[in-house]
Amino acid sequence: MQSVLSVLDQEPIRFFVSFGVILFLVLNLAAVLTMAERKVAGYIQLRYGPNRVGPRGLLQPLADVFKLFTKENVSPNRADMWIFLAAPIAMFIPAALAWIIIPFSPSAVVADLNVGILFFVGITSIGALGVIMAGYGSRSTFSLLGALRGAAQLISYEVPMILSLLGVVMLTGSLSLVEVVQAQGGGFWNWYFLPQLPMFFVFYIAGLAEVKRVPFDLPEGESEIVGGFMVEYSGMTWALMQAAEFASLALISAMSVTLFLGGWQPPIEALDLGNFNWAWFGLKTALITFTFQWIRWSVPRLRMDQLMNLGWKILVPLCLVWLFVTAGLMLVFPSLGQ
Amino acid sequence: MLSEERHVEPSDQSALTQPAAGRLVSPDIRDEFGLETLDMNMGPQHPAMHGLLRLILELDGETVVRCDPVMGYLHRCQEKIAENRMYPAVIPLTDRLDYFANMHNEHGYCLAVEDLLGVEIPPRAEYIRVLMCELMRLASHIPSVGFLMLELGAFTPILYSFRERERIQTIFEAVTGARMMFHYIRIGGVKADLPEDIPQKIWDYIESLESNFQRDFVDFIQGNEIFISRTRGIAKMTQEKAIEMGVTGPGLRGTGVDFDIRRDYPYSIYPELDFDVITDTEGDVAASYRVRIAECLQSIRMIKQCLEKMPEGEVMGDTGRRIRPAEGEGFGRVESPRGEYTVHVVSDGTDIPYRVHYRDPSFCNMQLLQEMVPGHYLPDIMPIMGLVDPVSGGWDK
Repeated sequence: MQSVLSVLDQEPIRFFVSFGVILFLVLNLAAVLTMAERKVAGYIQLRYGPNRVGPRGLLQPLADVFKLFTKENVSPNRADMWIFLAAPIAMFIPAALAWIIIPFSPSAVVADLNVGILFFVGITSIGALGVIMAGYGSRSTFSLLGALRGAAQLISYEVPMILSLLGVVMLTGSLSLVEVVQAQGGGFWNWYFLPQLPMFFVFYIAGLAEVKRVPFDLPEGESEIVGGFMVEYSGMTWALMQAAEFASLALISAMSVTLFLGGWQPPIEALDLGNFNWAWFGLKTALITFTFQWIRWSVPRLRMDQLMNLGWKILVPLCLVWLFVTAGLMLVFPSLGQ
Repeated sequence: MLSEERHVEPSDQSALTQPAAGRLVSPDIRDEFGLETLDMNMGPQHPAMHGLLRLILELDGETVVRCDPVMGYLHRCQEKIAENRMYPAVIPLTDRLDYFANMHNEHGYCLAVEDLLGVEIPPRAEYIRVLMCELMRLASHIPSVGFLMLELGAFTPILYSFRERERIQTIFEAVTGARMMFHYIRIGGVKADLPEDIPQKIWDYIESLESNFQRDFVDFIQGNEIFISRTRGIAKMTQEKAIEMGVTGPGLRGTGVDFDIRRDYPYSIYPELDFDVITDTEGDVAASYRVRIAECLQSIRMIKQCLEKMPEGEVMGDTGRRIRPAEGEGFGRVESPRGEYTVHVVSDGTDIPYRVHYRDPSFCNMQLLQEMVPGHYLPDIMPIMGLVDPVSGGWDK
């Protein structure tokens, strides 16, 4: 047993095994999140949500996956098949790959990159490529419109998102996520959401836009362009896109927890769970995910010009101002920077 | 906060001045860079269209430069069928017109035939008719608000509004035996008296609706920044424009024109009821939403008055066994939730109408789309549809 563990601990093997575990988790997470989404929606909308398959409907995701696996994969006649089929993969891989830098606990992290935040920023922008490929490859009007909206939206909201990360980087002096979390130890008053409240706000909003959820679900816009870039997909290709959406939803929640809410750190020292501190991480992530779902089922959708106004005229200036404020604070109180 | 108010320039109207036949094949509209526009077909199978409506759109980026509504996918020859049926047998057909305002359809037709016959309606029947029509108005206005929100991308309000509609339909089921196709208002009165316990049940329901109304349909929606920015200034029209386009109902009253058939051309017992005609000054989608919300409260007021004043007595007037009006013409005008609903019946002295014509507000308000949509963005079509709020069965008769 000991020898197996020591083999697993060797570097390339450790990476692949733990990445396999993460991939497994992400795929399951997507299934669990569909269930959670529908239950939350149900309770907000005066109904029960799925409650027929298994005890209290808990096996519903299993039934969904089975149905999607057995469903015929219909594609438009004129579709550019290579691009059409590659698009869901191009969406899913970045969403899953970004998980390798998320620290669940001090030791449970697949790859503690010293450029973790940069990696996150880079890998999530690849997701936009998948959206454009899906819309372009489908060769239908609704898809094309959705893809163009998606491209504009995802690229615009990259800017405030990256800017909002910079405050944390300045305070920590590191791009490694493990170090970011370690710098937030000692109680919730040390978490970065307090000195970086506007940045947290911007990251949250930009994150909503990055995962294309209400009120920023313009690329899907089911009331005018009927699902946008996803409209021509069915069966497993569609399921993969959904999995990518849910994986990136959870990813954004996990990132906001890691960067602003102290990652695995307990809110006060007395609640330290030792080796089980990943439970704090899970709890906070679940809470943030729940707020995303809460918003989704409560507000209408923005229009494209309003989306751009919000991004460029409000979020970006707010970030820039707060960067200067952070820098000034660090000059005045050198103890803020680590 | 999110955007400056958007001023819609009266865009390239050349497409609109071409003959109708020519407009269905795409005219060669180009923007200022000489680039071609994108043709898009919305519907008839589109999840957000109200029923089977097809919009042929011409898009310049996200801006719509041309919008042609194509109707006829639900045409059932209602007017022609009515020419081959005896007078009472037309009533169930009118149910199938605007299926969100069935009571008003029946009421309009019965008023027209009664106008021909000159029969006297027992007062209790009149009260029951108005009671049912106002309940129907609630069951139409509340989902209208829900549909507007659904089209803006919020899914939850539609379920709240359908909860209310469901409860009203339960009342209808107890009174008429049917949930949608009632066949309840008959020539000369109504089919049957109210069941014993129904007035109390309606009262209880109306009280509960009134207490929850602010919370579910106003607070949840009206203060929402996104809702405001999506609806304010959209499809803004002047009073002259609205009158010129023949708009009636909440759309017209939203521009400030103080016009309501119930007050200006009174029928049934509306003169005896105390109610206000709601107007707004803005004339945009947000105004039509506010008018609908305020009209719901007026309907609640009227239902309470009806229940309080309800006289005892017969519910069916003396029309004779066979309805055979003398030669002539009869009109029935009612204020349906969507606007003025008029029925014109021509009799040639037999027991079959010579001609029945329905002026349905869904159909007449529809031409607003062609006029208002060009110049707006693609996602603005949906709130404009929410303002017009057409019903498939109404525009295709």
